[in-house]
Amino acid sequence: MPAIKETIEDVRRLEADKYKYGFTTEIEQEFGPKGLNEETIRFISGKKNEPRWMLDWRLDAYRRWTRMAEPNWAKVDYPPIDYQGLHYYAAPKNASKYKNLGEVPQELLDTYKKLGIPRKEAEVLLGLEGAGQSAAEARTEALSGQVAVDAVFDSVSVATTFKEELAKAGVIFMPISEAIHEHPELVRKYLGAVVPVTDNFFATLNSAVFSDGSFVYVPKGVRCPMELSTYFRINAAGAGQFERTLIIADEGSYVSYLEGCTAPMRDENQLHAAVVELLAFDDAEIKYSTVQNWWPGDVEGKGGVYNFVTKRANCHGRNSKVSWTQVETGSAITWKYPSCVLKGDNSRGEFYSIAVTNGRQQADTGSKMIHLGRNTKSRIISKGISAGRSDQTYRGLVSVHGKAEGARNFTQCDSLLIGDTCGAHTVPYVETRTPKAVLEHEASTSRLSEEQLFYARQRGLDEESAVALLVNGFCREVLQELPMEFAVEAQALLGVSLEGSVG
Amino acid sequence: MGVAMPPNAMEAAFLAQLDENVPAREMLAEAGLPHRRIEEWKWSDLRAVVGKLPAEPGVLTFVAARESDTVAKQGQESALCMPLLASALSKELHIYTLKNGETLELNVDASAGFTHQQLLVLVPAGIKAQLLEHYTVQSCAFANLTLTIVVETDARLDRVVKQDAAPEGALVLTSLIKLAPKARMAQTTLGFGARLARIETHVSHAGEGAQIRLDGACVVGAGLHLDQTSVVCHEGAHGQTDELFKTVVARDGKGVFQGKVYVSGGAQKTDARMQHRGLLLDDKAEIDAKPELEIYADDVVCTHGNALGAIDDEALFYMRQRGLPEAAARTLLIESFLAEPLERIEDEKVREHLLALLRTRLGVVT
Repeated sequence: MPAIKETIEDVRRLEADKYKYGFTTEIEQEFGPKGLNEETIRFISGKKNEPRWMLDWRLDAYRRWTRMAEPNWAKVDYPPIDYQGLHYYAAPKNASKYKNLGEVPQELLDTYKKLGIPRKEAEVLLGLEGAGQSAAEARTEALSGQVAVDAVFDSVSVATTFKEELAKAGVIFMPISEAIHEHPELVRKYLGAVVPVTDNFFATLNSAVFSDGSFVYVPKGVRCPMELSTYFRINAAGAGQFERTLIIADEGSYVSYLEGCTAPMRDENQLHAAVVELLAFDDAEIKYSTVQNWWPGDVEGKGGVYNFVTKRANCHGRNSKVSWTQVETGSAITWKYPSCVLKGDNSRGEFYSIAVTNGRQQADTGSKMIHLGRNTKSRIISKGISAGRSDQTYRGLVSVHGKAEGARNFTQCDSLLIGDTCGAHTVPYVETRTPKAVLEHEASTSRLSEEQLFYARQRGLDEESAVALLVNGFCREVLQELPMEFAVEAQALLGVSLEGSVG
Repeated sequence: MGVAMPPNAMEAAFLAQLDENVPAREMLAEAGLPHRRIEEWKWSDLRAVVGKLPAEPGVLTFVAARESDTVAKQGQESALCMPLLASALSKELHIYTLKNGETLELNVDASAGFTHQQLLVLVPAGIKAQLLEHYTVQSCAFANLTLTIVVETDARLDRVVKQDAAPEGALVLTSLIKLAPKARMAQTTLGFGARLARIETHVSHAGEGAQIRLDGACVVGAGLHLDQTSVVCHEGAHGQTDELFKTVVARDGKGVFQGKVYVSGGAQKTDARMQHRGLLLDDKAEIDAKPELEIYADDVVCTHGNALGAIDDEALFYMRQRGLPEAAARTLLIESFLAEPLERIEDEKVREHLLALLRTRLGVVT
């Protein structure tokens, strides 16, 4: 299998604590004032030229946030975050359009190169004059499939590709900061509709200071012609990133959204508190895939990203479907529970997850499925792999309300421990209030099988390659759910993340 | 958060009985009785339930086959709220040291009002013994009991706990079990719930190669609540835990299952299995479950399963086809569902007694 070979090569190529994406792009950045107060929020809002209602919304969130306490129920341990010591806004200073490639700072181009975005496509992304027509060309050259990219470079969405092609289909795909101006009626109606302003401490913080993110609207009956993709990078030191993504799939539509994440190496802990809201109407389907590979900190756990994310989908319409797929290998602290509120009758929610923790990483992650409508179905498949001195917790909730007749849930969470200095925990909550539902939960914890390892090694694989092979097999059910481009990357990532965990 | 609530009548009565500066007093004054905002009690709001019961001392009647061997003044300290209160508020601690081949029967009856009691059961090394307990809580009574059981090396204890339905009373039965190396224990609970009943079992595999089988069958009828909580902690290597819990809830009853298996880094070769199955019979019935694993050792096998649902229509159809009336078919299915944990009891007489008790009770509830 070529992907396995790639994994093995990646493992060999990289040394213990060299992080492939741990580079910092030296370009001038514009920072907002340090610390968080109403002035900061006015500054952010002002920078984006936001309408009054948006500023009021942010200020309201901020005021509520000041009265909230940071949650401490997750099984993660980190020093207190100094919210006043952070910058809440950072943007590349020179965000204006360039005449030709020569004008683009070399560092920026290099970043795109390291991210694997081909030059041609980068031209489009950077908004070069005359690059608009080359979108299709860039796309065919760049990737085998059709993928539109909205790159979030720190806080500002640098550019959006394939806008035109999407516009033809009637799909709106743009940075949310632009959508606020161009489609205020949609943003105003749906922002905070799935994750309310006061949902939780981190979501409220995000509501107050969110910098940018993606906005997607797929109109009735439209099947989005290409996979939508975004790359998040946290770049400036000490600058938290607060994306806000809103995806609305109108009746009978379909959209697949890919989110890939890499972040440069930093000594200071970087705070990341994103909010992702998905809304699916009758017969609509949203597929949301994530590969997250932020800097997990060094071997001793120094540095690394703090990832506090609120992701929620509302399967509002009948027969709607939302599927979350995630491969989490990065971040020092992960606090993330992609959820589905299954409101529409016959709606379906799915959650497929692979989480790998190594070194000193701590992850508390899982999913919530709230069954409200009749005949709602949900499925949770979670694969956790702990190595090094890391700690990982699956925390999930399946809740079936009294009216959710015919609800069905299947949950499977398997943990794999590599070494005896790490921890793997499972904390599922199951609540049911109707006899007309069927809920099943299975969990297992085990180690890599000695026999399988021995078998693989006998056939000439070194120990690390053998582990990577077995881990890929352990995660098979989830990897199958990923779109093609991501599946290959994810398999490679698994190998890289586990290097140094054996022997 | 962090804001102390004014004590309710029950808490005030407890506080009045507690000396200054005892840990139980501090805990109670600070946090109050366990309530739904406390993670371990989120589905069993003890504070709200006992707050409505008469806050006056009651009488606990003990009928045991024999006298206790020793009576001590003070119990052990505990980090858990209810055992701490039981220790601080009960006058004496009864200690039973079991003899080889002995079957100790304990019948506990709590009258109206609140009662606290602590017991210590010692199972000396190498012996085999049986402990049969039966709890009855009268209307308007709140009984808080703590049993500490120490099973020494190579000893074996079979324990059976019966709990009568108590629609107007509340019961918290906490068992703190310590297993020495190669100790073996089997526990089976048959519970019928109360206004609020919590049967909480903590097991510590302190020594190497200890074994425990932890089973429960619960039938929760209208207006009743039964919480089966267990925490099994593996500290020694080669330990074995096998849990099988079944819950049947009828009408607007509520069943709670919380099971935690903790495996420390040193507890290699642990084999822990936990199963919970729940059956909801009516529209208003509720089951909440949290099977939990916390594992720090890599060479272990730990699994848990949890399945909740209704009676299998196909099985029902099959039985009706063969001429059984629907009601009888349903009862038979429920009975066989609940019998599984009870059938694992080794002593035939005890097993048959519990199965008969289950049959009688099912006739009332369903």
